[in-house]
Amino acid sequence: MPGIDECLLEAMRLPGARGAALVDWTSGLALGTVGESPGGDQEAAAVETAELARLAAEQHAFAPGADGGTHEGGTHKVGIHEGGTPGGNPLGGDDPPIEDLIISNRDSYHLLRFVRTSFDSSVCLHLWLTRAEGNLALARIRLGEMAGRLVLE
Amino acid sequence: MTAVRTTPAAPPPRLPARDKAAARDRGWGGGSPMLTRLAAERATGVLVRERGTLRLSRGRVVDAESPAAPGLDVLLTARGTLDGEVWRQALAETGDRHHAGHRLVEGGLLAPGALELCRLVALYDAAYFTLAPSSTPGRFRYAAEDGPDCGCPVPVAALERETLRRRDLLHRIWPDPATDERPLTRAHRATPPPSTVRQRAVLAELDDVRTATDIARGLGRPAFHTLVDLRRMAAAGVVAAREPAPAEASDPLEGIPADAVDPHITLLKRLRDALEAL
Repeated sequence: MPGIDECLLEAMRLPGARGAALVDWTSGLALGTVGESPGGDQEAAAVETAELARLAAEQHAFAPGADGGTHEGGTHKVGIHEGGTPGGNPLGGDDPPIEDLIISNRDSYHLLRFVRTSFDSSVCLHLWLTRAEGNLALARIRLGEMAGRLVLE
Repeated sequence: MTAVRTTPAAPPPRLPARDKAAARDRGWGGGSPMLTRLAAERATGVLVRERGTLRLSRGRVVDAESPAAPGLDVLLTARGTLDGEVWRQALAETGDRHHAGHRLVEGGLLAPGALELCRLVALYDAAYFTLAPSSTPGRFRYAAEDGPDCGCPVPVAALERETLRRRDLLHRIWPDPATDERPLTRAHRATPPPSTVRQRAVLAELDDVRTATDIARGLGRPAFHTLVDLRRMAAAGVVAAREPAPAEASDPLEGIPADAVDPHITLLKRLRDALEAL
């Protein structure tokens, strides 16, 4: 069972991996980093990753469709509140509502995988891959497995 | 014959002071000059400040605690990741939080990643409040032994830099810090913007009495994360801090009966009488 560094080192063994980080997307803190950082600054990269992850996680349009309807018109639902009650949703429910986020550019891929935890958290794994060597489909599957192993007993 | 030199050969050493310009150039500083000095001398011990404590081992931070921030135990037990009784038992057997966590990981009751994640999040969270500007000087108690052999101690510079960044982050969201400490209430506006799942959890806890710290504890969520959501909702006009009781702002002597036998007042009256008698 891995800790944060072992998890990131495992991610770095994926083909084309340039850098990996575990980022708290509420505060913008990098809880761990391995390898290179996009832009050369670990902390700045974590802040930008967090901002992107937070936007994706909070938009209703990207939430799963099954209960998407109940979240619409949140103005009237405010007092009812069915998700996120302490103890009411032991597996974290639909928080975060999305699994991963993929960004591609001319020379690289960025893959952000939200980590679902049984305790309250807002963290995601960020993997940076070179476009020439990276295998996005493989990385997406592996990163999902790593996110699960990181926090589940 | 001895003579006293009126002009010393060298000026006296400068007193340590916060150099804000230099701190800006460095990108950090302005937190606690004492902590910076302790890091430089690789000190081991406990720094007690007004709003919390930091535990240092060889100049690096291994633990932080603040009454304003939920501890590791709250984060792990609030939503049932760990049974409260299991935690208390591990704590009783090992004597401290650090070893209790490791005992639980060894026993297969907690994933090492989960412990590490919660520990780091809790440490930065408590440090944010501990390093908040304070009105009293901090105290440092040196320890003879090095602290617990911790897998991931945090450098002081990184902690201070992160704390200042967090302060800026809150300020940028909404510059009024009222929601950070005061009891909170819901502000009613005609068309409130949609709130996120995490914000709805915070909204459900509002009862005109609880503060951000109470809400964070109730949700098993880091206090700083709760402050972020509260400032966002304050900016959106959904949440407001309750006004402090007006009595506090009025004349401090109001309400004290005229014949109060406060020793200070008695002394002042005698002093006045004596002066008048002169």
